[in-house]
Amino acid sequence: MTAKLVKTEAVVEGRTEVRWTLVEEDDTPEFEDGAATRPIGEPTPRITARARTTGSARFTVDIALPGLLEAAVLRSPHANARVTSLDLDAARAVPGVRCVLGPGEGPEHDDSPLSDTPAFAGAAIAAVAADSADAADAAIAALAPEYEVLGFVSTLDEAFEKQDFLVDPTEHERGDPDAALAAAEVTVEATYTAPAQLHNSLEPHAAVADWREDGLTVWSSTQAIYDARATVAEAFGLDPERVRIICEFMGGGFGSKFGVGPQGILAAELSRRTQRPVRLVNSRREENVAAGFRTPAKMEYTIGASKDGRLQAVEASAVMGMGTGGWAFPVLEPVKSVYACPNLRLMVAPVRQNLGPSVAFRAPGVMEGTFGFEQALDELAEKIGIDPLELRRLNHSESDPEDGKPYTSKRLLECYDRAAELAGWEGRDALRGEGRIRRGMGAAGQYWWGGGGPPAYAEVRVGKAARPAVTVGLQDLGTGTMTACAVIASERLGIPVDSITVYAGDTSRMGHGPFSGGSMTLASIAPAVRSAAHHVRTEILGLASEMFEIAASDLTLEDGEVRSVDGTLREPITEVTGKLGNAWISGSGSRGPNPAGMNVNTFGCQIAQVAVDTGTGAVTVERVVAVHDIGRVVNPMGARSQVMGGILQGLGFALMEERVVDPTTGTVVNAGLEDYKVPTIADLPEVICEFVGEPDPHLKLGLKGLGEPPVIPTPGAIGNALAHALGVRLREAPYTPRRVLEALGA
Amino acid sequence: MRTFGYVRPADAGEASARLRDGARPMGGGTDLLTQLDRDILPADEVVDLRALGLSGIEHGDGVRIGATTSVAEVERDAGVGERFAGLRQAAAAVGSPQLREMGTVGGNLCQQVRCWYFRHPDLQCWLRGGETCYAQIGDHRKHGLEPGDCISVAPSDLAAALLAMDAQVETTSRRMPLADLYTKATAERRSTLALEPGEFLTAVEVPRAPDASAYVIAGERAAWSFALVGVAAASFGDEVRMAAIGVANLPRQIDPDDPAAGLPGLDMTRWKRRLLETLAADARAALGR
Amino acid sequence: MQVRLTINGQPHELDVAPHRSLADVLRTDLAMTGTKVACGEGTCGTCTVLLDGRAVLSCLTLASACDGAELATVEGSTPLLERLRAAFTAHDGFQCGFCTPGQLMSAVALLERTPQPSRAEIRTAMAGNLCRCGAYEGIEQAVAAAAEAG
Repeated sequence: MTAKLVKTEAVVEGRTEVRWTLVEEDDTPEFEDGAATRPIGEPTPRITARARTTGSARFTVDIALPGLLEAAVLRSPHANARVTSLDLDAARAVPGVRCVLGPGEGPEHDDSPLSDTPAFAGAAIAAVAADSADAADAAIAALAPEYEVLGFVSTLDEAFEKQDFLVDPTEHERGDPDAALAAAEVTVEATYTAPAQLHNSLEPHAAVADWREDGLTVWSSTQAIYDARATVAEAFGLDPERVRIICEFMGGGFGSKFGVGPQGILAAELSRRTQRPVRLVNSRREENVAAGFRTPAKMEYTIGASKDGRLQAVEASAVMGMGTGGWAFPVLEPVKSVYACPNLRLMVAPVRQNLGPSVAFRAPGVMEGTFGFEQALDELAEKIGIDPLELRRLNHSESDPEDGKPYTSKRLLECYDRAAELAGWEGRDALRGEGRIRRGMGAAGQYWWGGGGPPAYAEVRVGKAARPAVTVGLQDLGTGTMTACAVIASERLGIPVDSITVYAGDTSRMGHGPFSGGSMTLASIAPAVRSAAHHVRTEILGLASEMFEIAASDLTLEDGEVRSVDGTLREPITEVTGKLGNAWISGSGSRGPNPAGMNVNTFGCQIAQVAVDTGTGAVTVERVVAVHDIGRVVNPMGARSQVMGGILQGLGFALMEERVVDPTTGTVVNAGLEDYKVPTIADLPEVICEFVGEPDPHLKLGLKGLGEPPVIPTPGAIGNALAHALGVRLREAPYTPRRVLEALGA
Repeated sequence: MRTFGYVRPADAGEASARLRDGARPMGGGTDLLTQLDRDILPADEVVDLRALGLSGIEHGDGVRIGATTSVAEVERDAGVGERFAGLRQAAAAVGSPQLREMGTVGGNLCQQVRCWYFRHPDLQCWLRGGETCYAQIGDHRKHGLEPGDCISVAPSDLAAALLAMDAQVETTSRRMPLADLYTKATAERRSTLALEPGEFLTAVEVPRAPDASAYVIAGERAAWSFALVGVAAASFGDEVRMAAIGVANLPRQIDPDDPAAGLPGLDMTRWKRRLLETLAADARAALGR
Repeated sequence: MQVRLTINGQPHELDVAPHRSLADVLRTDLAMTGTKVACGEGTCGTCTVLLDGRAVLSCLTLASACDGAELATVEGSTPLLERLRAAFTAHDGFQCGFCTPGQLMSAVALLERTPQPSRAEIRTAMAGNLCRCGAYEGIEQAVAAAAEAG
């Protein structure tokens, strides 16, 4: 098998990366006529079920090693301050304390996560490691910090007024928006405000570090074990091959757990100094003040259209509250890349605030940007007097409106139509009612990137018992990726899924793998798994051909058997593999390049139905219809769960989730799950979910990613439904009873 | 967790003595332990009251509920469901299923306010003995409808239901109307509970069953939410009594014909008046009145 | 403090400082990490265990208050728990799995008290167990299916 270096493009969360990748020749056949052989496309329960339902799955917070030290972090209570005094010696003198790190201390080759100019409430100042959690807490108390309290900025308006940008503001133009707006027959101006949404993964950010002479092992609750390894290796000046990152089970991430985080860096440094393993786990409060958030955004749109509804120009500006970190997520992407609009100007101002650093949160930028723009479009539809979905159809773009490239597949029109059909869209006005309870129905479109890309590698090996092992260099944050890998391998090997073991979550097993994010994990790893499994299949069939004296091309593997195509031969696969003794057959596979000159995107439409109690302001999402175009669905069970999860997070954003910052002290006042409300099972709506479209004809396995798409249209659909129900438009989420009653004149 | 001692006396006198010495009383512990963790009214010892035989529901003309009876037991009691529907509805509204199993009636009635400034680990608000009511100068969107030194709201669903039913409470030293258990906090005494040192609840009693009763709550999500506003109603012959939580510092008896009287609303809480009026109408309608 | 309790049918004798939570004692002293802690302050239900048959939050239960109690955790194995495990698996009642032990124990408490709950009763009984991944539909269906199979 010859290997070559290939250059390819991959788009992750809206940012295009050019990568060189080592790719092997691959003779894995495409599926015939787009069809797949089972179990691809069949609902498959998760292969990790037993571990997760017995409590035997070990998450990072569960890892305990002999001699383990517990670590804790001193965090500033002030929105902005300078530490004027810190008693490190007193902390060191506390019984059971083994190490204290002060501001500026940390790994040799990287910035310290500890600062004596903490710029937000919750910023880390010092860290300790001790024999017990109680001793660590006592050490933190002994530090007795004193502060000079400084002024702070926390609101978007204030930050924008100060023109304090965390990263450079951007401006993007297409055509001549000023002229087009001036000439537009219909104009709509609309402003929408999205809250800061806090991830609140149930497993907090955590790390256990074990520094040994021969290498460093870090258990990390991370979505990116290889990035974590690279970061740690660089920070400590270590050979990456001597750094092992383990994440076999993690309790949610949703974008907040890329890399190894300050937890990993601090635990590793404390372990290095104490020569003991060290565990550092965030408290729930720390999760809410220092572990990142979806950037709050204030979005202003001016839309100019012709009388028939065709978009002529959009001018949009967004102020994004980035706190003290993060990158400028593509909040105006829905304006730029979905609809055919010949003229636009997009301005994004990412402002700094004395709050923690922003991080990615499931479709960062695009979810909140969709929430804003899809509602602004509905306002346009209302002004013109046309059906909101019809407005979208009118402005549909067959190719990418920004760069003109074709898509590998785009079934957005089918998504609108099918969602409308399933939701009873035609009859929505009849829903509304005139009494205390008002009902409404609203729609929103979905656009995201779905292609993934190299590098991604997989290995498959089979021994005498015909119980394959699939090894992939990735982590599974609950998305079901490991199960999908088993399904894909099963199709090639003809061996049932429950005989397959998938090894993941350990950098020592593989050279590299994709991170779990950007909705590109399965799209990246699936072809590699299939290719590796195919190589093993080819070898098994070769051996079978020799054994049974039938041409390999006349043999197949199915249901754990070797079968001849004419039906005369049926033998268990173990007849062949049993001859291996202690040897095994192995195959490896890698992800090839993306199709050049084409954009890989996912599309969809969700329609929400809401009921509003105008007496109490309570909004209930009764039903969500979700239709998504993601190409081939490998595991419909896992796919539906992804959709449910996205819808629930979107529902939370729309109805109840927002970080509240006290104006006087600049501190987060709802830093826990009592006052930061996330949906419970009682908030679960009815969900009708379908996937349209055949497999994407240009992609290996024809599949696109699904992790983020389901959360994108939900809040916009709910907002549109609410406006439909009330006849009044709320411009700020979440739609709490207070906001609803105030909008109704209370 | 902070460190503290734990005792579980079998004798009420011993319990009182320890409380007088500065220990804090514990029922289910669900509110106490989170307070201790944040240094709210810290103590060196907790006194578990659950071995004092104060558990149980006795039905007669009315009903007598021991102070360490769990909220879940109250919710499940058939007699409560039949004759004190509002109390059952209030019990069902408390917290989560687990909190109902753990929490006691006494603990629920005596629980501290939920104000996010009161519970803030880094601030000492007025109610905690500090100088500033941060809510009044800050984000008070969930707070009370009348001005005062403290604008946090009474959180106990059971208190509203029992107040509407004209309940009495028994303590280690006296018997009084439930309304008298609560008192406005003052500069000298920053507590809304009118209990003397060493005194604790032993039972709550509703002397006679109302003809009808109800409790309605509006929370921040469909389940497991403290009340934004909660309204209880009970009718005794021609008399309709109503009480609300979430609107003032203490559980508040309200006028069925003018529920928001005396509750003008503050800058960020005027919207709650509408909610109060709606729930009051709903509670009244549930009585068939 | 001396605490004697039965855990999943096995007797234990512990010596614990009075302030320690049951969750911490299970996870640290007994290395029973099946019970997870997500908030430590009673708001999420992740740490739910059964104490004398009642679903309680182990993060807010003092170990020292458990003398003489019978504790059931996710590490146990009863016919009902196995039925629930199978149902959670068949109906995808979990994603990341961190909330799953708590969900299972709340479901056990429900089905032991109410063997044939309505969907509304299931929602009420499970409302104290948050799932950030959003597996609620699978959880509801799994509990209903386990009840049916009982």
